[in-house]
Amino acid sequence: MMQIFTRALIAGVVALSTSVSAQALDIGVQVPTTGSEATYGQDMINAVQLAINEINADGGLLGEQLAIVTGDTACDPQQSVNAASRLVSAGVVGVVGGYCSGATLPTMQIYGDANVPFVIAAANSTQLIPENPGNAFMINSTGADQAAKAVEFLEGQGVETLAIVNQGDAYSQDLADLTAEAWEEAGHTVAATETVNKGEQDYSAVVTNIRSANPDAVFWTAYYADGGLLIRQLRQAGYQGEIAVGDGSNSPQLFDIAGQAAEGVFAFSNPTAQFLPEAASFIEDYEAEFGGAPGPYAPLAYDGMKLLAQAIEEAGSTDADAIVAALASVDGFEGLAGPISFTEENTLARSNFIVLEGQGGAWTRADD
Amino acid sequence: MTTFDVVLQQIVNGLVLGSFYALVALGYTMIFGVIKLLNFAHGDLYMVGGFVGFLALSAISSVVGAGWGGVAIAMFMSMIAVGCLGVVIERVAYHPMLRAPRLSILITALAVSLVLQNTVLALTHGQYTAFRSDFGFGGINLGNLFITYNQMILIGIAALLMIALELFVSRTQYGRAMRAVAIDKDMCQLMGINVSAVIAITFLIGSALAAAAGTMAGAYYGSVWYFMGFLIGLKAFTAAVIGGIGSIPGAMLGGLILGLLEAFGTQLPGVGSEWKDVFSFAILILVLVLKPTGLLGKSEQERM
Repeated sequence: MMQIFTRALIAGVVALSTSVSAQALDIGVQVPTTGSEATYGQDMINAVQLAINEINADGGLLGEQLAIVTGDTACDPQQSVNAASRLVSAGVVGVVGGYCSGATLPTMQIYGDANVPFVIAAANSTQLIPENPGNAFMINSTGADQAAKAVEFLEGQGVETLAIVNQGDAYSQDLADLTAEAWEEAGHTVAATETVNKGEQDYSAVVTNIRSANPDAVFWTAYYADGGLLIRQLRQAGYQGEIAVGDGSNSPQLFDIAGQAAEGVFAFSNPTAQFLPEAASFIEDYEAEFGGAPGPYAPLAYDGMKLLAQAIEEAGSTDADAIVAALASVDGFEGLAGPISFTEENTLARSNFIVLEGQGGAWTRADD
Repeated sequence: MTTFDVVLQQIVNGLVLGSFYALVALGYTMIFGVIKLLNFAHGDLYMVGGFVGFLALSAISSVVGAGWGGVAIAMFMSMIAVGCLGVVIERVAYHPMLRAPRLSILITALAVSLVLQNTVLALTHGQYTAFRSDFGFGGINLGNLFITYNQMILIGIAALLMIALELFVSRTQYGRAMRAVAIDKDMCQLMGINVSAVIAITFLIGSALAAAAGTMAGAYYGSVWYFMGFLIGLKAFTAAVIGGIGSIPGAMLGGLILGLLEAFGTQLPGVGSEWKDVFSFAILILVLVLKPTGLLGKSEQERM
């Protein structure tokens, strides 16, 4: 009784504009809606909502309407555990989301134990792979793919010595380690590796260390909020080399924080909506519905929801094992961000990284 | 860069960082002086100061621009607003507790800190707010050493504020009253000094200095967020203890020393940037163990 009451309450809180039937299928969305990464999270919720609206307009799934239950991780490993537990107790059929790898990591066990299918739309640390109980599927290319892309691109720019700066969390440390390894394997020099604390404002000491090592390029592997500050302070201190950032810093807000210093910065990224020819109508729908452009992870979140819906349809029931089996056998699902097939490890079977460059306060494609 | 260049550059870095620490540490020390309270909400006033400065600059930048002139005006507005907020906090939360046991008022200060932090968290959803200013990246090169104009102006403003405070405390009647209250509150009361007013003025000035630091930090670094006061509050407390809690020159000295130690700490083999905070707080423990009165502090009969 209590559970029914809670479910009704949560469904009420996240009530859809469309009619919520008494029998709704709940889909969990696990993303940060507070904290420094909240913009990404809200954006992913919007994209999932868009997919759900389309599915509901077509009569829903298994004859029922879909509804979202939000789990806010705040990009924090402790808070994400609470969020995941809440989604499980709300009885969601499946979960889409997972933005910060560090916050996604501890939730995998929870969904594994509760046997809830989990489509990870953005988090891509290779540290997630061994933690996967088998019910999670990563539809964004992994950190290893990103490191390979970074090495390939920076080599092409004639970079020989590289400084790598991370924030000590699962995502940025993973990317830093993988890049350092691949960079040295390719026969180049890692001039400096630095770890900074999240939320620090003053990076002057690190900047001085980087300037004294004087590398050809600096690679920031963590998120945009602090990345913007670092880029600004590097340029302020007169650093002239290339600056590159990982996909966690691929945000329009990087330009707000770093200002003119973000000009010419390279970002490695999954294909965002504006660079996907297939996503033109998606962008239109998104803007019509939410009054703003879709962010970097909207297409993946949308694809994740559509993929989960297809798997539920195929399973013909809400039985988790059947849904997971349907997900595992996916072969070339046509998503906005490209075809989805999974490896043995439930990771995306291809690398989807592209390179962007900051120009005039916005991202442009740099590797066409 | 040669080793010598790195040393010089780290001195500049340390001075910038130390200026922020010193400005915030002053409020800690002054408030401790008059009511023997470690005001743990002080770092959050720095944070609120950053946000008020941001709002003020947004409001006036169309008229005066967002260069240093605009930022200076925004800073002044933020100092007034947050100074008044400090007085309100003192009246509402601390004043009724002045006769209560020490621990109660300390816990109240922590509660005030949480209230300020979570209010801003709720208002901003915890997102970083970009603080746009039109500072150029210009500066002067001295060999391999590069000092930006921003750094010079920032250190200059901090120095001016501290000189003004020093003059206020040593030359004015209110300053004399403040020093007297710090020595013996009850006796001052008997001598006809308006102790309540002195406490209010101390909160006004201390909070205003924190707000000045917060606004300058927002403009200099380029963003403000709800949690930015937490660490600097602890660091400023450390600076105040190094200098000697209750001593105004001590807070200035402690701030600069801590800033320099942090900058050089990252150069030590095995310390590096991720150990910066561990290094600072290890120094705090050392000072408390070896010389609890700090560099310029006087010995106290009772201590928290």
